[in-house]
Amino acid sequence: MRPANPELKELVVEASRALACLDAARLEELALSCQALTRARSSEDTGEREHLARQAREAKADMAVFARVLEATRSNLNVMKRLRDLRAGRLEYTERQARGGAGAGFPSTGGAKSRGRWGEAAEGGHGDH
Amino acid sequence: MGTINSALLLTKGALDADQAALSVVANNVANANTPGYTVEVPDWKQNQPINVDGIQVGDGVTETGSTSQRDRVLEERLDQQQQLASASSSRLTALNSIQALFTPDSGSASSTAGDIGSDITSFFDSFSSLESNPTDNALREQVLSSASTLAGDFSSAANSLNVQSASLDQDASGVVSQVNSLTSAIAQLNTQIQSTSPDADAGTLEDQRQQDLSQLSQLIGINQVTTENNGLSITTTSGQLLVSEGQNFQLTTGTVNGATDFFLGGADITSELATGGGQLGGYLTARDVDIPSALSALDQLAYGISTSVNAQNNSGTDYDGKAGTAANPLYIFNEPTAVAGSAANMTAIMTNPNQIAAAGAGDGTGDNSNAVAMYNLGQEPLGAPTTTFSLTQNLDSATPVNGTATGNVEVYDTLGKSYQATVTYTQQGANTWGYSVALPAAAFTSGVSTPVTGTITFSAAGNPIQIEPTGAANPETVGTTTGDVSSVPLSFTGLANGAADLNIGWNLLAANGTSTISQSAQASAQTGQSQNGFAGSQTPIDSYSNFVSTLGATVSEVQTENTAQNASVTQLQTQNNALSSVNLNDEAAAMSTLESSYQAASQVFTLLNTVMASALNLGDQTAVS
Repeated sequence: MRPANPELKELVVEASRALACLDAARLEELALSCQALTRARSSEDTGEREHLARQAREAKADMAVFARVLEATRSNLNVMKRLRDLRAGRLEYTERQARGGAGAGFPSTGGAKSRGRWGEAAEGGHGDH
Repeated sequence: MGTINSALLLTKGALDADQAALSVVANNVANANTPGYTVEVPDWKQNQPINVDGIQVGDGVTETGSTSQRDRVLEERLDQQQQLASASSSRLTALNSIQALFTPDSGSASSTAGDIGSDITSFFDSFSSLESNPTDNALREQVLSSASTLAGDFSSAANSLNVQSASLDQDASGVVSQVNSLTSAIAQLNTQIQSTSPDADAGTLEDQRQQDLSQLSQLIGINQVTTENNGLSITTTSGQLLVSEGQNFQLTTGTVNGATDFFLGGADITSELATGGGQLGGYLTARDVDIPSALSALDQLAYGISTSVNAQNNSGTDYDGKAGTAANPLYIFNEPTAVAGSAANMTAIMTNPNQIAAAGAGDGTGDNSNAVAMYNLGQEPLGAPTTTFSLTQNLDSATPVNGTATGNVEVYDTLGKSYQATVTYTQQGANTWGYSVALPAAAFTSGVSTPVTGTITFSAAGNPIQIEPTGAANPETVGTTTGDVSSVPLSFTGLANGAADLNIGWNLLAANGTSTISQSAQASAQTGQSQNGFAGSQTPIDSYSNFVSTLGATVSEVQTENTAQNASVTQLQTQNNALSSVNLNDEAAAMSTLESSYQAASQVFTLLNTVMASALNLGDQTAVS
């Protein structure tokens, strides 16, 4: 059973877990909860502030985990965006890039035609859009 | 506490909401900072690279085209993350074992490595007790008993670390046969696939190859390069070739400096494999970085305690009214000759409690001034006194009689204070030089510097062959055979800060027997110096606490890395599963889920960060990025 008053640490851990599972609905729910927490943080009650400070100290390590998972998610999102662009034909490699020339690893956009086997594959693979 | 608690209660709804079954990794994320939780490592999906005409392209993006080629983008990303996760996972296991060594076991009747902190306190406190009654035999016995416990636990800790290192060495060696077996299988599959493609579908063979690649990428960090007709070449992450289409290159092992090194094509690639990822990378990082780092910290502490305590005790007067001598020093611990190995070799060698020199030099047995000084060693920054130094120096043979040359070296006393020692050489005649080694006058209680003097005689070839300290009965031969000497004895007493006498050997010969000092027709010059003392910055107990907390921080950091890497793999697998369908709607939905999850998580992070920064009143954010 969960404690009656969930701790900040628990909230952070739940956010990391939801992000690992890509549970967007839960993350949005947590975001709404956090907004309420943000509004409450300006409390004048010293006891409340000390209580929150203690919770914040206890949650620091888990916050670091959350930050790293968020960072990994951003990288994954970048990969997926490039995959989508590739799929949509907005992004192709030139042979020079493929062979490690200037700009290798950073494909051009806008449908520039590539050559040889690479270009053939690119054109042949875009029949569904 | 109405407001904040009410706000927290709002979150309870979210936390209590029904959840789909969570993956193993998601649970690992949730328990990243739960003490004692054992991380579970799931099996990961295989992967394949992104290449064009045998050349690997940039940052994981590959050619457009068929569905299978598209998936390779994800598989490449999965591969990278999996290699990192495997490395951090195996390193984390090793680090947890190291950390467990230094965790006090309150239930254990016998003292263990985890008790070193309390051992240090008990040892120095035993001198505090002795101060009150320096002639009490029971209190003297207590000093020796606590010294024995302290030395035993240091030695036990170092030996356990060495055992762990040997175990990691064995684990790492065990990976090699698996790697070779897999690369051999992949090479054979390459041949079969290439003979089948492009005229027929080699799907089953490719599946098998993918499976092997998946296993291989968990073992070591690899890059994959596709070649003609679906062939494949594999390199380590630093570029050494493991498979070239139908040919594989075997990893071999060899012993270098007592540890297993790894070779490919005759080249030692151990350090490259350590940073390359996979299980082997984790094992090697733990073996070659984490354990040596822990041993080094323990060695430095053991060396500092042993040398300082020995020097202090040796400078006092024991219960029988005796002072320590070069032949019979009053050492409590075996005197280490070098920092490395000091912890493993630490032993309490004193067995006669009467030899504890509670009294100061020249004082009667009822005096306690040296016991006070030894207690104070535990309360002050722990340095290590200089016991040897050497100067790399040439003396100009053309120097006229009474002409001089100088050399300098910084030396440290038992309290970690440093002094500039100046050596003045005076030409006395053909091949004969007088030496005078002095510390600054301010170093002494008397305010007067009394140099240590003598003469050095050189051979015609310019090497020192004889020394004669002032007051010595006869000159001594410099050399390495029995009866010869290799160093000049120097002693400085009455230091103003109360540190024990400085007894230093000035090495005229290096470890390999070659001369450090020479005479030739070239100009007099000092070109180098070395000594083995160091200044203290922390008390012994603070130094140990710092070691333990640094170790804990490393464990925490690697655990965070491992958790994030595993979470990343979970996300990618979710995406990969969605993309395994060619349904574009599914693909779009998967992308949308990733994007909205990231955006919502960013918002949660920003809000939490604001709350925490405000609560901690730090004034700045705790965000990592």
